[in-house]
Amino acid sequence: MSYHFGRGWSKLTPYLLLLPGLFFYFLISLGPSIATGFFSFTDATGIKGAPIRWIGLDNYREFLFMGRASLDNLDALKRTLIFSFVVTTVQFTLGLIVALIVNQKLKFTNIFRTIYFMPVILGVVIQGLMWSLFLYPLGGPVAKFLALFGMRSEFLGGQPTEAFAWVIFVQIWANLGITMMIFIAGLQTIPSELYEAARIDGANTWQVFKNVTWPLLTPSVNTNLLLNAIGSLQAWQLFLVLVGYRNGTQVLGYLIYATGFGQTSGSVTTSFRQGYAAAASIVLFLLVLVIGLTLQTFLQRREKRILG
Amino acid sequence: MSKKVFLLISLMVIFATILAACGTPATPTADSSQPQSPTVAGEQPAKKVTLRVLVHQNPPMVEFMEAFNKQFQDRYPNITVDMSVVNANDLSTVSQTRFSANDIDVLDIFGFANGAQPYMKQVDPPNWQQLIEAGLLMDLTGQDFLQYYDTPTINDAGSYNGKVYAVNLGRVIYSGIYYNKALFEQYNVKVPTTWPELVAACETFKGAGIPCMTAGGKDGWPIFVGAYGLIGSIYPDQEALVEGLWTGKIKWNDEKSLEMWRKMQVYARDMMEEGASGIAGDAAPGRFASGAVAMFPGGSWYAPAIEAAQPDFDWGYIPFPGSDNPEDNKYWFGKYDQGWAIANNTLNKEAALLYLKEFSEPANYQAFVDAVGFIPTQPTAKLNTKIGAEIAPYLANFRVGYEQYWVAPKGAGQYANPWASYFKPFGTFDDPVELANKVQEDLQAGLDAVK
Repeated sequence: MSYHFGRGWSKLTPYLLLLPGLFFYFLISLGPSIATGFFSFTDATGIKGAPIRWIGLDNYREFLFMGRASLDNLDALKRTLIFSFVVTTVQFTLGLIVALIVNQKLKFTNIFRTIYFMPVILGVVIQGLMWSLFLYPLGGPVAKFLALFGMRSEFLGGQPTEAFAWVIFVQIWANLGITMMIFIAGLQTIPSELYEAARIDGANTWQVFKNVTWPLLTPSVNTNLLLNAIGSLQAWQLFLVLVGYRNGTQVLGYLIYATGFGQTSGSVTTSFRQGYAAAASIVLFLLVLVIGLTLQTFLQRREKRILG
Repeated sequence: MSKKVFLLISLMVIFATILAACGTPATPTADSSQPQSPTVAGEQPAKKVTLRVLVHQNPPMVEFMEAFNKQFQDRYPNITVDMSVVNANDLSTVSQTRFSANDIDVLDIFGFANGAQPYMKQVDPPNWQQLIEAGLLMDLTGQDFLQYYDTPTINDAGSYNGKVYAVNLGRVIYSGIYYNKALFEQYNVKVPTTWPELVAACETFKGAGIPCMTAGGKDGWPIFVGAYGLIGSIYPDQEALVEGLWTGKIKWNDEKSLEMWRKMQVYARDMMEEGASGIAGDAAPGRFASGAVAMFPGGSWYAPAIEAAQPDFDWGYIPFPGSDNPEDNKYWFGKYDQGWAIANNTLNKEAALLYLKEFSEPANYQAFVDAVGFIPTQPTAKLNTKIGAEIAPYLANFRVGYEQYWVAPKGAGQYANPWASYFKPFGTFDDPVELANKVQEDLQAGLDAVK
């Protein structure tokens, strides 16, 4: 195989081209990650100039084993897993269905694609504000609709399980467009001849999907599953905007934010505890790592089996 | 090809230079261990400077600050004030990040509270103490403008280890209830001075199809802040309550506390209007002023917003009648609210001190308390406002509230607080005994963990 970048010093060209990307990767991603690992063994407050002491595994001990708070943390961990599982499966399934529909040669397809994708371009705050208004319990549209059936709800401010379910719903609504677009991109790479051949062989719609579309969508399936799973494990912003810090609704990501930045309720003073928050972040990182790697290994094997 | 490589490297060097130029300029850092030469507020700086000010969201206060900033800039043309406003819940977070970025000169800081007491074990210092110990707040000791403020304020709400780091601008009450005078008159309801009278009043209004109470529950804490008066009527000495809880002399599930939980359930379930959890904190005064509800449990800081929403609306403000004995219901519980502090490493020290000096001038301060309805911390200032007249009868009975003393032990569960919002429809609990046991269990877990 010939080398395209010449001889002598010119051979370095591809590596030099990689440098800016690597620089930003170290600066923005890897560097802070390593620092977080270090801070998780300290009592760092995050306050500029404050002394930092090495406290070993104390933060981990407190997070995982100290009093009732550690059980609450484990509840948040469970809630994170539930959130991730529901968001990933529903968003994946709906994204695929919507992509299959808007990939048809129908009128107004582009308009529908735009409508489904539109929430993605809104910021989390806008998404949260929109749904806070939709779910306003004193005469909001959803409250009025429920009132037609003699029902009412406090929605985001009521029962924690209900508030949690609404955040799942908004998360899916907000990100469905990305899943759909990845599937559309995958669908458009499938040669139409394969569909024609399958039809000539007498395959019905389900058989076409099962034997042509689904196997050839494997790269898009893998990308979507990984993005949805990892993204939902790390999600926390919608919890902040929609429900705030409420018992029975926190996921691990929000717990980390609230602890690390001393988020207060009104004027009640709390402490800045970034060392402790860093330990919680590492727990979340390990969770994402284990789930992400397992999923990736499984998906890669599947891809190899199907596509060779 | 070597020319291309050279071109590539040159581009990268230029790129790196641009990046470096975009960085934060080096700023002199103050060494908190060394005594600082005191700068006293005086004349405006010779060069043009921009003073970065951070305040928390409180509509009348923000409105006043905008007018004050204009007045300040007119008087000192070399100073431009760049004021940022953040939600009260985010004030400490934003302060921390802006300190890290050297991007703040003057900051709004709540009265110093929640300090570690000798009977507390393994508690972290509160964030104001962390900021001082990191050398981030300027020592204001000896500044001329401090003379305008009363000594208890200076000592209790802004000092640490004998030095002054913040000047507090006012006390507020959060244990009161606003009531709609027209509705009370129309339905011939007596202004309640006891718990049974409050229950009866709510029943009358609800019977007439009028929601009894509203609150800005979307922000979380406003849904239960009024009920702090209920705690106060049962435990008037709030500092002793905190010590009792830490030492085990008081339990959240003892007989006395159970009375509190039973009343809290009535408050959350029967008194608060349906849907209150969706009302934003700064929208609640408007809802009350619209005349749609009979009462509004909340802090004295809401009064200017009520007046602004409906200037002709006639309202009163009473202590939360949590006890069956009217004598127990004559206390106000509250806190030191907003204060000013200066970043120790500000490059605009003169301008920052001048800002505080100008703000503290008695005429300006009087305009401030008139606008925001604070109980003044300058002894010469007067309670000119309507809310001032309402709170004056019991002002001698002002006490700092429970939440200002409370520090949760590490390991305590998430329910270790006396909050009415744990009850349905805002929370999951339907039985006061079950909730009381849960709250005590969560607290006890923390106390056991730090033994």
